[in-house]
Amino acid sequence: MEHFLHELWIARWALAQGLVLTVEISVASILCGSIIGLFAGIGLTYGKWPLRLPIRAAVDCIRGIPVLVLILASFYLLTFAGINLTAVESGLLALSIFCGAHMGEIIRGALQSIPVTQIDAGRAIGLTFPRILIYVLIPQAMRQIMPVWVNTGAELVKASTLLSVIGTGELLLRTQEIVGRNFMTLEFYGLCGLLYFLINSVIERLGKFASRRFALQ
Amino acid sequence: MTLLAIRGLTKNFGQVEILKGVDLEVNKGEVVSIIGASGSGKTTLLRCVNLLEDFNGGEIILDRVAIGYTGEGGARRRFGERELARQRAMTGMVFQSFNLFPHLTALGNVMLGLTKVRHMAKREAQQLAMNWLARVGLADRATHLPAQLSGGQQQRVAIARALAMDPKLVLLDEITSALDPELVGEVLNTIKLLAKEGTTMLIVTHEMRFARDVAHRTIFMDGGLIAEQGPSASLFRNPKNARLKEFLKRANL
Repeated sequence: MEHFLHELWIARWALAQGLVLTVEISVASILCGSIIGLFAGIGLTYGKWPLRLPIRAAVDCIRGIPVLVLILASFYLLTFAGINLTAVESGLLALSIFCGAHMGEIIRGALQSIPVTQIDAGRAIGLTFPRILIYVLIPQAMRQIMPVWVNTGAELVKASTLLSVIGTGELLLRTQEIVGRNFMTLEFYGLCGLLYFLINSVIERLGKFASRRFALQ
Repeated sequence: MTLLAIRGLTKNFGQVEILKGVDLEVNKGEVVSIIGASGSGKTTLLRCVNLLEDFNGGEIILDRVAIGYTGEGGARRRFGERELARQRAMTGMVFQSFNLFPHLTALGNVMLGLTKVRHMAKREAQQLAMNWLARVGLADRATHLPAQLSGGQQQRVAIARALAMDPKLVLLDEITSALDPELVGEVLNTIKLLAKEGTTMLIVTHEMRFARDVAHRTIFMDGGLIAEQGPSASLFRNPKNARLKEFLKRANL
C-alpha cells in the first residue's frame, strides 16, 4: 500500500493531466456534437428532400462506422487533403461527428413525436417557423432528449479512451505510461477505471437534475 | 364594412378538389357560422383563411389587403414566412383539439404570442393575459399546465390565447367537438359573450342550436361550394336547398 501511494505521488501530475484532458475532450465533443445533432435533427424532421437526403446519408454512414475507424480516419486521412490536425484536434473532430450523428437521430425522433398540430397552433398566433422551433417544439422535445443525451455523454467519455491509439495524452494513455514505468498493472488500471466511473456518475447526476427541470409536472 | 372577402377560392389536395370556388363576405362585427357534412370543405376553408393551408386559386382579402399570395396568374407566388406570420397574427384561430402548448402554463400559453409576436414587455403581457384568463373564467387556473385542466378549461384557455392577440377576425373550428357533453356549455357561453361584444367570428360548428342562436348568418357548405346562406333564423326555419333540408332533418334540431 505504501509502495502504491509512493508511486501515485510520483504519477500525480501525469494522472491529473490525463484526467483533465479526458474531461475537456468529452465536454467539448458533447457540446459540438449536440449542436451538429440539433441542426441534423431539425433538417431530418422538417427539411425538404434536397436537405434531408444528404443529412440522412451522412448520419447513416457515420452511425455505421466504428468510432475507432472514425478516429483513425480523421487523424490519418485528412492529411491527404492537406489538413494537418493534432492528435487532440482530430480526436475532437471524430468524437464530435460521432456524437452529432447519434444526437441527430435522437433529436429527429423527439421532434417527430410532437404532433404537427403544435406547429399549426404556433402559426395561428403569428410565430414564424424558427420561433416555433425555439419556443414550442424544442422545449417539448427536450423532455425526451435529456435522458438519452446523458447516455450519449457517458458513451463519449468511454469512447474518448480510443484516442489513446493516436497518441492523445488522455487518462488511459497516461495510465498506460505510468504502468509501463512501475508495472503496477492492477492498481493503476483499477484507479483509472474508478476515475472513469466517477466522471460518468457525475454526468448521470447532472442529467437527473436537468431532466427534472424539463419534466412536465 | 366588409372585413373579410373571399372570392373564387379553390383548393385541391392532389387530384381531389376540396373547395370549388367559394365566395364569401363577412362584415365587421358579424358572426357567421358554417355548417355542412364532413368533407364539405368547412375546415379547409377556415384553414385557408388563417393561411395554414395554401390554396390554388381565388383570393382572400382581409381588411382590404390580399393575404397569402402576391401577384396574379403565372406571377402568383406565396408570401415569405415572415410576411405570412404577420398576416396570420391578424386572425385568431381556435382548434377542435385545443392544441395548447403542453410545456407552458395557462398563463404562459396566452403570453407567448404577446411577448414574441406583439413584442410586449413581460409585465404588460402578463397583465393582459391575466385579464383574458379572467374573462374566460380561469383566473384561478393561470399557473396550471394544460394536462391539469379539463377539456372545457383547456378550450377556454385556447380562446383566451387567440383573443389576447386582438385579432381582427376569430376563426373557430368545431371547438366543442372534442368535449364531453357537459363541458360544451361553458365554452359556448364564452363565445356568446364574445359575440355580444362585437367580435367578428367565423364559426365552423356541428352545434345547430348554437349556430341558430348566436350567428347572425349561417352558411351551408356542400361539396366544396356554398349551397345556401342567409340569416340564421330564416335559414334554419325555412331551408330551400334539398341537401340542407336533409342535413337539418338528420341534425335533429
